[in-house]
Amino acid sequence: MGRADAQPISLEELNMLREVAERARKNVIRMLFYDQSIHVGSSLSSIEILTTLIFKYQAADHSPQDRNWLILSKGHAAPALYAVLSEKGIIREDELWKIQSLEGILQGHPEIFIPSVDMSTGSLGQGLSFGLGVAKGMKMSGRKGKVFVIMGDGEQDEGQVWEGFTQKVVKELDNIVVFVELNGYQLDGDVNSIKPKSFLQTVWREAGWTTLTCDGHDFMSILSAIEEAQKAAAPVVIFASTLRGKGFKPIENTKYQRSSPDDARKFLLNA
Amino acid sequence: MMQGSFSSMREAMGKELVRLGELDPDLLVLTADVGDSSRASYFREKFPDRYFNVGIAEQHLVDFAAGLASVGKKPVVVNFSMFLMRAWEQIRNTVARMNLGVKFIATHSGYSDSGDGSSHQSLEDIALMRVLNNFTVVVPADPIEVVKAMPEVISHKGPVYVRVGRDYSPPVTQGFDYEFKLGKASVLREGDDVAVVGAGVVLWDAIQAAEQLSRMGISAAVINLSTIKPLDESLLEYYARKTGRMVTVEEHSIIGGLGSAVAESVVKRYPVPMRMVGATTFGRSARSQRELLDHFGINAESIVKSVLEVVG
Repeated sequence: MGRADAQPISLEELNMLREVAERARKNVIRMLFYDQSIHVGSSLSSIEILTTLIFKYQAADHSPQDRNWLILSKGHAAPALYAVLSEKGIIREDELWKIQSLEGILQGHPEIFIPSVDMSTGSLGQGLSFGLGVAKGMKMSGRKGKVFVIMGDGEQDEGQVWEGFTQKVVKELDNIVVFVELNGYQLDGDVNSIKPKSFLQTVWREAGWTTLTCDGHDFMSILSAIEEAQKAAAPVVIFASTLRGKGFKPIENTKYQRSSPDDARKFLLNA
Repeated sequence: MMQGSFSSMREAMGKELVRLGELDPDLLVLTADVGDSSRASYFREKFPDRYFNVGIAEQHLVDFAAGLASVGKKPVVVNFSMFLMRAWEQIRNTVARMNLGVKFIATHSGYSDSGDGSSHQSLEDIALMRVLNNFTVVVPADPIEVVKAMPEVISHKGPVYVRVGRDYSPPVTQGFDYEFKLGKASVLREGDDVAVVGAGVVLWDAIQAAEQLSRMGISAAVINLSTIKPLDESLLEYYARKTGRMVTVEEHSIIGGLGSAVAESVVKRYPVPMRMVGATTFGRSARSQRELLDHFGINAESIVKSVLEVVG
């Protein structure tokens, strides 16, 4: 989609994003040495989208009123968020190894006391409503920032998501971009076998959203979708095809979130 | 000036929100399709751009308000008490956890939605809200106190839950001159033998009970505990020491509500014999809130009986 004509990025920058994502991916897998309970699969699904948003659309200074907001509604991908923020220099790398421990600040799900986190999440389906409130509030105050929300496909099961994207006020908001990652899995298995999802793009569109698609692991595709989203005079939802556990063979494209330190070691040696 | 000018707590609240909205352009009012019955609609008429009916969508209502609060707006969520509880998890995980200044005005609390029956009657909300970190919980006694409380509630930094009823509003605080402060209880009647502590419309029954008791030679103090959280612990301790006995009364379950809150404090500061008057089961339909209070034994008669038990 729009890949041929859109050139939002130089080759050097593209390579930089790829390197950041590769290091972040390795660091998420490396976290398995320290804590085996983190959601590796969901985190690896989000690496490229988070890298794009944090490196291209998030200012280092978190204080200005006109800044962009980033809401990780699928809060269980927190390890990916932390790994990318570490690449940006916002979180120290040695802090990553203390994830979910009493010695560190990094919680199993994002909390606003962690640098650069805009919303405490963890309970699914709440980030969209919150993001819409932020977007409407910024509009009312004449602020310029955009609101980015990252959701999962399993998360679409939550009734609150319907409550959010159907709100009347949504149609006025051209300052919100929602990513829905389609990695095909939720906790207990294949998303469609648990609750049908095939109509999602249709219902979001019918509710007034501009719907786009992208390859959620391809920077050019993600960037083109965001560029197109910037032009829309309506709220935008980008359905991003991704793989759970992307790049980490022991769990890639499965429902499994976790793997052993041994698998992590093998991966890092061969990478 | 305010006395007697409102027929009900929801009327008083709806009009006071308009007045406060004139003073503060960041004040917003949100509801989930109960604007007319909650009287939030007065705000819509005056400030249509600052009023949001999000549809019958309470979970979204709460998080949408949280988002608005996080960029400096002052959202006031006005909804039926019972259906706000549907979004308790959103209130807990987003508003309370992030300590956002969202104000919740919960109407139709207790038995006040008498006709609609137990699905609409909220007898658990004080317990559910006072357990939340960062929350302030306010139960005004009557329309006059609603008007006194609203500016304090709106200017408070953190989240606040305000519990108001529908129509039945006996003039509990009429004629009493006191300053309303969050976290401060007020004394409706002095007494030496027992302290009757309550909040909301049932304070009317507490006052009636105190009068009956006085005819029996028992001097009962009546305390208006309009803020359930934070609790006015020093005042409660003072009356525990002074009277040596306490009876609580509430239009709410006696598990986890006002009585429990008072007991939690008194038991560590100055334990005294206590009785709790309140709900012990679900409500039901009736033609009026007053009928239900009498039907479930939350009235002057029960308060007198409980006082006699502890006075011995």
